[in-house]
Amino acid sequence: MRLLAALVALPIWVLGQQVSFTKSVRPVLAERCAPCHNDRNTSGKVSLASVAAMTKAGALVAGKPDESLLVKVISGDRPRMPKFGDPLKAEQVDAIRRWIADGAPDDSTAGGPEVWWSLAPLKRPPVPANGAANPVDAFLREKLAAAGLTPSPEADRRTLARRVYYDLVGLPPTGEEMDAFLADRAPDAYEKLVDRLLASPRYGERWARHWFDVIHYGESHGYDKDKPRRNAWPYRDWVIQSLNADMPWVRFVKEQVAGDVLYPDDPRAYVATGFLAAGPWDLVGHQELREGSSDKDNTRLLDRDDVVATVVSTFDSMTAHCARCHDHKFDPIPQQDYYNLQAVFAGVDRVDRPFDDDPAVHRERQALLRRKLEVQRRLQPLLDQVEFASTPEIVTLDSSIQDASLLITHMGEPKTPADVETKRRLEARRVADRNRRQEIVDGLVGPETYAEIRRIEAEFKPIDEEIARLPKPRTVYTAASYFPRAGTFRPSLGPRPVFVLGRGNVRSPGKPAVPGALTCVPSLPARFELKDPSDEGSRRAALADWIGDERNMLTWRSVVNRVWHYHFGAGIVDTPNDFGRMGSKPTHPELLDWLAVWFRDDAHGSLKQLHRLIVTSAAYRQSSRNREDGAKADADNRLLWRQNRTRLDAEAVHDTILQAAGKLDLTMGGPPVELFWFKDDHSPVYDYARFDPDTPGSHRRSIYRFIVRSVPDPFMERLDCPDPSVQAPKRSTTITAIQALAMLNNPFVLKMAEHFAERAGTAEQAVRLALGREATAEERTAYADYAAKYGLANLCRVLFNTNEFLFVD
Amino acid sequence: MNRRSFLWNYGGGLGGVALAHLMGREALGAGRGRPEFNGGLHHPAKAKRVVQLFMSGAASQCDTFDYKPLLIKKGGETWDPGEKVELFQSNPGAVMPSPWGWKQYGQCGKWVSDLLPHIGECVDDIAFVMSLMAKSNVHGPATFMQNTGFILPGFPSAGSWVSYALGNLTDNLPDFVVMPDPRGMPPNGAANWSAGFLPASHQATMIRAGTPTPIHDLFPPSSASFITKDAERDGLALLNRVNREHLAEHPGDSRLEARIASYEMAARLQLSAPEVLEIRGESEATRKLYGLDNEATADMGRRCLTARRLLERGVRFVQVWSGADNGFPRRNWDSHENLAKDHGDLGMALDKPVAGLLKDLKARGLLDDTVVYWTTEFGRMPCSQGSKGRDHNPFGFTSWFAGGGFKGGVSYGATDEWSYKAVDKPVYCYDVHATLLHLLGIDHKRLSYWHNGIDRRLTDVHGVVIPELLAS
Repeated sequence: MRLLAALVALPIWVLGQQVSFTKSVRPVLAERCAPCHNDRNTSGKVSLASVAAMTKAGALVAGKPDESLLVKVISGDRPRMPKFGDPLKAEQVDAIRRWIADGAPDDSTAGGPEVWWSLAPLKRPPVPANGAANPVDAFLREKLAAAGLTPSPEADRRTLARRVYYDLVGLPPTGEEMDAFLADRAPDAYEKLVDRLLASPRYGERWARHWFDVIHYGESHGYDKDKPRRNAWPYRDWVIQSLNADMPWVRFVKEQVAGDVLYPDDPRAYVATGFLAAGPWDLVGHQELREGSSDKDNTRLLDRDDVVATVVSTFDSMTAHCARCHDHKFDPIPQQDYYNLQAVFAGVDRVDRPFDDDPAVHRERQALLRRKLEVQRRLQPLLDQVEFASTPEIVTLDSSIQDASLLITHMGEPKTPADVETKRRLEARRVADRNRRQEIVDGLVGPETYAEIRRIEAEFKPIDEEIARLPKPRTVYTAASYFPRAGTFRPSLGPRPVFVLGRGNVRSPGKPAVPGALTCVPSLPARFELKDPSDEGSRRAALADWIGDERNMLTWRSVVNRVWHYHFGAGIVDTPNDFGRMGSKPTHPELLDWLAVWFRDDAHGSLKQLHRLIVTSAAYRQSSRNREDGAKADADNRLLWRQNRTRLDAEAVHDTILQAAGKLDLTMGGPPVELFWFKDDHSPVYDYARFDPDTPGSHRRSIYRFIVRSVPDPFMERLDCPDPSVQAPKRSTTITAIQALAMLNNPFVLKMAEHFAERAGTAEQAVRLALGREATAEERTAYADYAAKYGLANLCRVLFNTNEFLFVD
Repeated sequence: MNRRSFLWNYGGGLGGVALAHLMGREALGAGRGRPEFNGGLHHPAKAKRVVQLFMSGAASQCDTFDYKPLLIKKGGETWDPGEKVELFQSNPGAVMPSPWGWKQYGQCGKWVSDLLPHIGECVDDIAFVMSLMAKSNVHGPATFMQNTGFILPGFPSAGSWVSYALGNLTDNLPDFVVMPDPRGMPPNGAANWSAGFLPASHQATMIRAGTPTPIHDLFPPSSASFITKDAERDGLALLNRVNREHLAEHPGDSRLEARIASYEMAARLQLSAPEVLEIRGESEATRKLYGLDNEATADMGRRCLTARRLLERGVRFVQVWSGADNGFPRRNWDSHENLAKDHGDLGMALDKPVAGLLKDLKARGLLDDTVVYWTTEFGRMPCSQGSKGRDHNPFGFTSWFAGGGFKGGVSYGATDEWSYKAVDKPVYCYDVHATLLHLLGIDHKRLSYWHNGIDRRLTDVHGVVIPELLAS
């Protein structure tokens, strides 16, 4: 049912050209050779990590492939290397051979003079002197002129107002707002409008949604047993409030990575670490698998992988997660870096955590909890003696106990007298087995240990009493190293050991990892100097400082590019999460750097100033009309000879329909609205079809809807709302029959069409409210005729489905 | 960047021409495959469509298709496979023979348990993969793996990949349809048939066969009584007119045209969907073949029959689920407690309908270019859990294929003498998926989508086509 079909990108064979080390040679070496032959593990004293290392080890004689050891061992009918797996493919051997024959030129950052654009130091380029008032325009016009193009004229005021409203607050102007803007003939009417919108609480609600796309925020765990996260929302509110308060970027970064450590007395900074817990979580893997099993270790590995991938690609637009199984094939990110990043998060799990709005109470509770943590650390080894005590008889008893439990559960409520009797027997057996088990364990553990356990446990009592005297805390789903145990999900109580894993396999640990970040950022030390590495919080704090450092060029380039992406529909770098060699290059590198430095140094990390700079540019304000000369020279509008027309995203459609219907409830914050019928179960049921769209309290902005991972809202999904388990730096825009049906027939749309009709009263007013303009004479007749014949609700349904309603010019 | 998002995100220039071209192709029903490859993308295709039968909860290999006399011989004895066994939630119990007897079937003499006698009759059309392994021992991740090739959420399912690769065979129905078990969604819910990072247009359309509203939003709900037949007809005509006028004022934007066309296609779907879901016109013999005359088999029979109707009308990929989540009372194959009871009920419900589907497809000549793919997330242990159940076994389990260029009457690979570990030609889903794509005319290494720094594939960085499974 697709309307447009995509073509699969085919590899581009460039014959007769010089072979690139980074593009064609290093990826092969990284995957097939470097797992054994690297700087840390030089099997056969040969490292293939860099051109220099290969030359030094004698594996490579530039210009002479036949004399190069590397070529010798991979060539022939039965090549000596690689030892594992198939021989290299003929074209791979050929590429390596040709590269050496060409003199083995090194085009990598590590060995050559060229520095990859995103890792080059940030310097403020001069603004081109071409008369443009806004530096953004000055940079853009240089490139347009070079392509023989000119910008488009400014869009009309109605179009411009609708555009900037959607862009900054995610809603169209109401009739009154539009009239007020059109009536304001002051030369700075537009700038004043921009300021009003940036000051509106709706701004944070709009831009929080972009943030959630990037960090894949969801309110259920995902996987099997997709339980709701009832306490994720305080983090959602933190994002909205922080954006509305225009929190400086450095602080925004730091609070989310380590707010609890860096700002221990600020409860809000504590809530901010909900960021670390935003992604999916495998409940069964964490709560039901046994400690020490491979699957348990793998569950933890992949859980940390999600955190590392999210942090690095979100804040620094690098794909560190590509170095889990081998060194990054294209970017200078060794496996060691990746596992060092894992070590940063080795002390935390995703879990509910208490906090208090009152800073004094907060401080007190956290201090008490730290005391409890210290007690638990001494207690845990003793408890483990009890928990893991084992003899053959215990094993047998465990099986018998489990058998009884399984059969009892499976039976459910007994239905026959025979079942009743069976259940009674099983229960009796289970009790006897448990008693016997306890006896054996007691014998193994011994009375001294139990006495010690009781003695240490008694230390909890005074602390718990103090905690009980505090007011009831609030709860946020975030990252923690100490929390009440649930099943086999136990707190780390401190960083778990992390190793560099051969091929990413938990059963192939190599060198230990140490907390650190990316070595490819040359301006900052990548290994963290920590006073106490066993303090997990200090690890995260060090990473937060590393990301937020003004010398971290990636951070500053990343954020301004993201903001640009949402204003123009495409970033200056069109791969907002990947500034590496496989990502796109910036179309306007000088502009990107200028913006990054300006944002850091002049705007002091103020997003609102950045928005203002961009949306007041002529480039932003120009018309989106197609032009033959532009389409011919730059069909995909990378040079911005016009503004891009965009289709409303799912949230904007939802919120606009509510606003048109006069039903939009602008209540902010608090628990999310469930737009589904819910039943808790082994795997809870989230049924969107069994939901009445007129349910009281459900007409709030879509940022406040409950986001389920296993069963996403089908209406939103059909409008390209991304899967909340995937980081979505950009949304796709698809157009399908199924989507048309959702817009035509979804009960929400139809119910709102009825409310809209009641509110509008006439066809003319409906056009004004839905499209923000007066109806033309023809429309007036056609719409009024249709409404007269079938009722205004039918017309409202049609209006919701028009392209004019769904696109922003 | 792929061509689709290029077109979508930058609208503009190419628009009109590309749209007309692509739509023209699709109107011919050719999808994206190349005519000279029989609709394949990279090489000639043997198969055009797929029906995947997914046994949610882990169907036991050693109670269905993996016959091991040793289990019968050593039944009740202490199990000693000669190494430490790491189980999901239990310690290994005694050797547990299947509660069902075993018989040989067909020319090939394949042993099949008495749980699935009707499928047994079809073994000469089936290629069994006896040596599958899973990378997780947990339902959620393993179910993801079998669907998407990854043990993490957020990746596209095989059906989405096929939709992305080959496009549609008809303009009247979706490319990819899923029919969950009426008792509920499997573990991971709809994320099992998600398009992941592929554009949302490749995500499955869910059909709840036999319910009053089988497809979400296909028609206005009864509560919207203001929409009469005439209001609908005239409303769509009005919408079309308004959108065309808007298009005339905004030339050169393919998306605006595509939206206009999307309503035309929606109307076609409205016409064809009720027809395809209406099975009353099927003959008595056909209904019996699928077990519609028996309460125990009627649901699966209805969904298998609906699958055939969807496939013969041009749907690319249909996924049918046997079993819901892992809760109680048991409603899927996760038989930790009482295998005879729970596998017994599910096997009974499955056997005749699936055999009926195979026989019906064959009789209609559809089996030649339709793949029937039976799978599950992992297997079950040859020892008992407690006294009557079996725990998870990710080390060895069975899937099978029929039709669409798969060879009949073969068994590829094997588990050890216990049906514990795959020892002969062990494979992960990667090779199975690679082989499936191969028969659809797709090179699994060249079907990729760039996402977050990695060129993602259904087969991750693995996968080898299994030649032994291919009919010559």
